Amino acid sequence: MHDMIVVGVVNENTVYNQKTLTDLHTISNYAESLEGVISDDLMSLANVDNITQKQPGTIRFEWMMKQPPENDAEARYIQQQVEDLPLLYNTIVSGDGKAAAIYVPIESKDESYALAEQLRSKISTLDGSDEWHITGLPVAEDQFGYEMFVQMGISAPLAAAVIFALLWFFFRNVRFISAAMIAAMSTVLITMGALIALGFTVHIMSSMIAIFLMPIAVVDSVHIMSEFSDRYREKGNAKDTIKDVLGHLFTPMLFTSVTSTIGFYSLMLTPIPPVQVFGAFVGSGILLAFLITVIFVPAYLCALKPSTLESFVQMTHEEHKDSWLQKIGTLAARHAKLWIAFFLAVLTFAWFGIQQININDNPVRWFKPDHEVRIADEVLNDHFAGTYNAYLVFESTLDATEKARAAVRDALNNDALSAESRDALSALLEQEQEQMNFNQWIIAIDDLLFSVGSDQLEPLKGLMTKLEQLNSASKAFQSPELLAYMSEMQAYLQTTGLVGKSNSLSDVVKTVNRELRSGEKKDYKLPDNANGVAQILLQYQSSHRPQDLWHFVTPDYKRSLMWLQLTSGDNQHVTKVVNAVDSYIQDNPLPANIKMDWAGKAYLNVVWQEAMVEGMLDSLISAFVVVFIMMVLLFRSVVFGVLAMLPLSLTIAFIYGLIGWVGKDYDMPIAVLSSLTLGLSVDFAIHFIERARATFKQTGNWKDTLVVMFDEPARAISRNAIVIAIGFTPLLLAPLVPYITVGVFLASIMAISAIVTLIMLPAVMTLFSRLIFRGGQS
Amino acid sequence: MKTLLLTTLSAAVLFVSGQAIGAEKSARDIVEQAELNAYYSGDDGRSAARMIITDNQGREQIRQFTILRKDQEDGGVQDMMVFFSRPADVRDTVFRVVKRINDDDDRWLYLPDLDLVKRISAGDKRTSFVGSHFFYEDVSGRNTALDSYEILSEDDEKYVLKGTPKDPGNVEFSYYEVVIDKEHMLPIESTFYNDSGEAYRKMEVLKIETVQGYPTVTHSRISDLENGGKTEMQFRFMKYNLGLPDSIFSERSLRNPPAEWLQLRD
Repeated sequence: MHDMIVVGVVNENTVYNQKTLTDLHTISNYAESLEGVISDDLMSLANVDNITQKQPGTIRFEWMMKQPPENDAEARYIQQQVEDLPLLYNTIVSGDGKAAAIYVPIESKDESYALAEQLRSKISTLDGSDEWHITGLPVAEDQFGYEMFVQMGISAPLAAAVIFALLWFFFRNVRFISAAMIAAMSTVLITMGALIALGFTVHIMSSMIAIFLMPIAVVDSVHIMSEFSDRYREKGNAKDTIKDVLGHLFTPMLFTSVTSTIGFYSLMLTPIPPVQVFGAFVGSGILLAFLITVIFVPAYLCALKPSTLESFVQMTHEEHKDSWLQKIGTLAARHAKLWIAFFLAVLTFAWFGIQQININDNPVRWFKPDHEVRIADEVLNDHFAGTYNAYLVFESTLDATEKARAAVRDALNNDALSAESRDALSALLEQEQEQMNFNQWIIAIDDLLFSVGSDQLEPLKGLMTKLEQLNSASKAFQSPELLAYMSEMQAYLQTTGLVGKSNSLSDVVKTVNRELRSGEKKDYKLPDNANGVAQILLQYQSSHRPQDLWHFVTPDYKRSLMWLQLTSGDNQHVTKVVNAVDSYIQDNPLPANIKMDWAGKAYLNVVWQEAMVEGMLDSLISAFVVVFIMMVLLFRSVVFGVLAMLPLSLTIAFIYGLIGWVGKDYDMPIAVLSSLTLGLSVDFAIHFIERARATFKQTGNWKDTLVVMFDEPARAISRNAIVIAIGFTPLLLAPLVPYITVGVFLASIMAISAIVTLIMLPAVMTLFSRLIFRGGQS
Repeated sequence: MKTLLLTTLSAAVLFVSGQAIGAEKSARDIVEQAELNAYYSGDDGRSAARMIITDNQGREQIRQFTILRKDQEDGGVQDMMVFFSRPADVRDTVFRVVKRINDDDDRWLYLPDLDLVKRISAGDKRTSFVGSHFFYEDVSGRNTALDSYEILSEDDEKYVLKGTPKDPGNVEFSYYEVVIDKEHMLPIESTFYNDSGEAYRKMEVLKIETVQGYPTVTHSRISDLENGGKTEMQFRFMKYNLGLPDSIFSERSLRNPPAEWLQLRD
């Protein structure tokens, strides 16, 4: 089965009217004519067959609706026919008769948005009053990809604008802040350019690279500029000031860049290539931003006219009077124990929240509720047995190759065979083939049978009989017992309420059998033997669509597919279905030599999700360990290493706890964010601790250090938090849910980790100052 | 002398009423001759057919059957029985067809393992013949009265004709082009076009043999040009004028095949 676009039409009364069916006919034919559509497998009223009994005792295959009905009476006749065919009823027309569907199989899911757009524009030319909808996972995913590009074009420049505005608010000098903007812009351009030049496709994940890099790339510039503006007055000239600034900012900036990079690089540990590419490029982008910042920004500042700098410093220094930062510092230090108790309480709160995290995803939910894809999904799944498809693939593990070869070798022992016959048979044994091709062997021996003299007939006929028996036996899915097993499983799944409808080879056999016999319900059953099944299917293949049989079974009858229609594509829902099937198999073991597996997009998404969650957990843990080791190395102290990890641990725990409490599904976007939050939120701690240590060396006591810390260093930290947090807010305006999620998530991480850093670290350092600054005091 | 007069007369009429009628008439003659050669050689006939059906993924199926045929009149009513021998699981499945020209064919079906004789309702004959790319109509012959014909081109070796259905609602094609080989007066290639004028289906004759003086197609192929996939059909052991008795073309033969007439080896 291919991925399918589902086009649905809804009529409030019934779709079985002349106008609706005529429109359906038009759209169905149009869809068939589109490039990229597998027209052979397209399914709608307009191209399926009706299997029926014209008069008693006769069977007939005819197009269900070769021509649109000429009046409503003809439309109602179609209704009767459809409702009699289990494979069509509630699949191509809804059970309530108010909706009809066109299942459009597509060659590649990457074309589904373009195809959906073509269908939409064709639909818009219809003059009826019916509602039309287009849905299906490929459409959701591909359309999401498309809208993501549109968003990239809007959000990234918007983020740049917001950051520019914020910088202007802090520094009030366009020429000055241009340094940060140039650094950020060139980082984004070079990174995206490299991505494209290296031949990677810009897809859902990588389209986010720009908006991630933009705010992160200005961070180092903000530190430099913030400190520069504070020290310029002291030093009086740009060159000396910048030397001084870089002197004690270089190490923390390098380390924050490296830790952020590690956060993103850790995404390369996930098993999902798009996420790996994303991680690699954002990570490298951050290192690039660091390089550009430390080389370009100082050069740029030194090139500015002293008069420009003077006026700038004048302007910014006004604001230093406000002492709200100092108050925070004092507050944190004074009630240190209380704060720590508070943070422990938050941690407990988070712990319980994390327990409640709901892992779930569904690409359709990446759109806002009022988006056409979301509406289509809701409306169609309301009417139909389900537009989400999951497939159970049953496979026979019996391999008759050895037996067939043995039979041929056996025949070769017969002295009656001529040299030519022996050569022909030996040729079969010499063939290298992956799978036994009975047809070829039987054709070869059939040819022999007609060319040899009557003295050789006996052994060849014997061999032929043997091969035919093996061939028939290997056609596992002609066995009524196996088909009955599938039917029973289907019946069970129906009772779970999780599956809207299921279709299998068993349903095909029963339907055709019924029509071959009385046409009545009592004959809706499987025949007694495998040959009966084969003969029924030979009839089924005598329709307009013989290839439909191969949707359910392979021509060698060794693999068969059960199609489950689900009304929800939520991974959780699919997981429940998977569990239901597992437990059924537990209680009713698969027949001998049969194995079962899952296929289809809905199921793949579940597998993907599991890989994702596991991969994210791995990458989170490894990033945590690596960052911790780096912190210990940076501060050359285990104590400071632990200290640096505290704020980010609390921040991450809090955010995930909150997700658990709020009940937001842990989905793809959130999973991607988990490890990179680590790299970002440790930044503040690095700056704070590094500066605190340096300051402590000068002042020699913690109290004075605290005062200094809550001047320039705290200001730089809070500025950065605000720049990044607000820099991501343009994402909130996007019509796509993951963008909003990322925006909210990152803004909260920045805000919370800044607050936590500025309160938790001073509180803990105050409480344990003797332990922490032991080295400094000696 | 009389004939010459008539010819001259009709030529004069044609001249007045336009070229089209004349072209149609001779096109029809060609088609009807080709139909006789393709489906009505001898008074009766037998052949063993083997079809290899290949889908667009290269997966194969085989169908093997023996056809017995008897003409009530050339170009007219024809009895036909199709006895399946492979794959083994459909062995002894039998089709019986009474082909009529001015009325629907009668078709019956016997499914041995369901112990079922079934009448197949008259109706669309452009459905697959047992899962192959051949239609029922390709096996029994499409009634030439259903289409109108015109000659597209002609050279020393062949005619190229265009057939257009008189009732387009009944068929899936918009028109087809058929190449008729002048030497044997047999159709050797037919290409079917859809409403958008794209060729989507093609029948090709790959081999013609002369059997008992009758040129006979022994290997042909139908290809699905749109979605891929093809069916090749080979005929062996052709024999004409066996003197098949009428009695074997009966419902009785469905359950009790006339073994003596199905013996292919001499």
